[in-house]
Amino acid sequence: MTHIMVVDDDQDLAEMLGIVLTGAGFEVDLVNSGDQAITLFQASKPDLVLLDVMLPGLSGIEVAKEIRAISMVPIVMLTAKGDTHDVVLGLEAGADDYMVKPFNPSELVARIKVRLRRAPSTGTPTLRIGDVEIDQVAHTIVSRGKSIPLTRLEFDLLVALAKEPGRVFTREALLDEVWGYQNATDTRLVNVHIQRLRAKIEDDVDNPTIILTVRGVGYKAGASGE
Amino acid sequence: MLRARWQRSILFRVIFSTVTFTIVFIALLGTVLFNQISNGIYREKINASVTEAESLAGYDQGQLYATQYLAHLKLATVVAQILRPSTPSVDTAPREVVLLGSLRGKEGDQTYNGASGNLDVRSVPASFRKLVQKSTNTHWVRANVFYKNGLTQPAIIVGSEIVMPPGTPYELYYIFLLNEQQTIMGFISKLLWVTGIFSILVIGLLSWYVTRQAVIPLRDAAEIAEELTAGDLNRRMDVQGQDEMARLAISFNEMAVSMQQQISRLENLSRLQQRFVSDVSHELRTPLTTIRMASGVISESASQLDPAGQRSAELLASQIARFESLLTDLLEVSRFDASASILESKETDIGSLIHQTLDHLQPGDATQIRLHLPSEKVVAEVDPRRIERVLRNLIANAVDHCDGKPIDITLVSTQKEVAVGVRDYGIGFSEREASRLFDRFWRADPSRSRIRGGTGLGLSISLDDAKLHQGSLKAWGAPGLGAHFVLTVPRFPGIPIESEPISADPNEGKPTSFLSFDEDDI
Repeated sequence: MTHIMVVDDDQDLAEMLGIVLTGAGFEVDLVNSGDQAITLFQASKPDLVLLDVMLPGLSGIEVAKEIRAISMVPIVMLTAKGDTHDVVLGLEAGADDYMVKPFNPSELVARIKVRLRRAPSTGTPTLRIGDVEIDQVAHTIVSRGKSIPLTRLEFDLLVALAKEPGRVFTREALLDEVWGYQNATDTRLVNVHIQRLRAKIEDDVDNPTIILTVRGVGYKAGASGE
Repeated sequence: MLRARWQRSILFRVIFSTVTFTIVFIALLGTVLFNQISNGIYREKINASVTEAESLAGYDQGQLYATQYLAHLKLATVVAQILRPSTPSVDTAPREVVLLGSLRGKEGDQTYNGASGNLDVRSVPASFRKLVQKSTNTHWVRANVFYKNGLTQPAIIVGSEIVMPPGTPYELYYIFLLNEQQTIMGFISKLLWVTGIFSILVIGLLSWYVTRQAVIPLRDAAEIAEELTAGDLNRRMDVQGQDEMARLAISFNEMAVSMQQQISRLENLSRLQQRFVSDVSHELRTPLTTIRMASGVISESASQLDPAGQRSAELLASQIARFESLLTDLLEVSRFDASASILESKETDIGSLIHQTLDHLQPGDATQIRLHLPSEKVVAEVDPRRIERVLRNLIANAVDHCDGKPIDITLVSTQKEVAVGVRDYGIGFSEREASRLFDRFWRADPSRSRIRGGTGLGLSISLDDAKLHQGSLKAWGAPGLGAHFVLTVPRFPGIPIESEPISADPNEGKPTSFLSFDEDDI
């Protein structure tokens, strides 16, 4: 059974989230503070973390950072302010996606499912961009013989670019493909995750060779070496 | 130009008046002084001259009489002695003598007519001669005498009658030259001129300096006041010393400080108020999320409820949705109030944005919407989220008020602007209502406007959106004739609109209840 950890200081909201997510067929752990979250995370190893940004004590951003340091588990943030710097900070700290309160419960469930899904591997089991080798079956990537741990979202993002090497993806197209958003315009999600991905796989983040920026349009995969 | 300076500059006015007054005063003083001195000098000279002339004349008369008794004394010799010019010494001024035969009675004897030295005999004025001839007294006059070589000199002429033996009347004139006095007076006059001009200059400079002392702080105060007005609230005057100017500077600075405090207090209040609205909106979101999810759970199990319970679940869901849009709008308004709104412009196909809005709104088959779009694509660099919101507000508004009549949506573009007009032929609005149209939470007809659950903030936000684009949103309406809302935005961000391709007033030229809400209206 899929296991979700909900971190929210508002007990009523946490309980309600528990009801909705249990109803959708998930197993739910409720945590009321950031400090407990880390301990419980290590004990229960959830499949996904639902994290409120505004937490007393250890903030949601700190929690996201600490979880990301030890795990590649998907993290979805809950925030009351969709337009603030907090969102970018949360994404940079390692959150994969965010939901702005008040959200639609069915949309929340749908978003969680997107984050949990294993993209069906299509075509060749192995893809390449530059020096990076992507194993779609084992869900791992290897760069110059070194295995690099990626979050599921980062992996999906890389696969999306690698699958169509010639294509320039607009940010909106990536939001659709990777995050499952339709008609979305929040390009911060894409920008932040491309930066995080580059930090892991590029030799020089300022002169990327694997994920190239196409000015004014979006991103594309770098030339496949050899 | 002089007049302008007079009115504009205290310094100029003070210097001008002071110098003018000084010139008049010194001219008067100089004239009086000069006359007093000159009178004093000449009176003394005249008295001395008359005394000397009288004693000389007495001696001369005696000599002349003596020729009658002393055989060796010839008349001609005595006359020559009389006419001999004086030998100038240290204490006697040069003097000349003129002897003329009196014309009293009939033609007199002119044998001994003559003058000393080079002096011209005609130097004695005829009018003065008549005066001397009339009486036996000594007379004097000031006149210019002239020499045969053309030289003219100021002098005092003292005249008296003298008897030439045996009994012929003659006039004897002693002439005392005034060279010395004239030199003195010339010197004094020069001295007076120099002193006068020097005084005028000194007083002019002094008044300039003194006035400047008073005017400079005033000018500084004026300049600093101007800068304060322009918004630089940190400007202050320099305080020097403890005089009146320092007091002015201190009071001025105190005023500036108190003004700055007031302004920052008001700014703080307004910021606090905006923060409050924003915080309230955010704080409401967490409980609203819980309520919304609870409502979702209830709706899912609605089949187990009785009809009243089912209806309640429906109402709960719809009111939560309304509450949510109200919160969203409130937050948007607080962002506009805090000037925190940012335009995220990108190339947008306005025609397809209109279609998209209509798809989203789904006005229903009951309302006929007629689109008037140009055949070619209209692309503008705008914030699609905001423009879509304005269009949604305008169209939803028209649908609510169209009274079953069709709605016309027109799109027109020019080189620089894009305009969308939304026209309905429904209930319209009156002039009184028009003035409040863009007010927050204002509803023309409370019973109607809530049909679609509008928040009452739609038009206000739309106007703010239009302004953010540096465009305009104008409204026209007439009761029973419908309403026309026109949004005009520039095609490229940062270039304000220059014209409005669609006029809000359908009867262009006939002003009815027409209202404009431009950039200038705040």
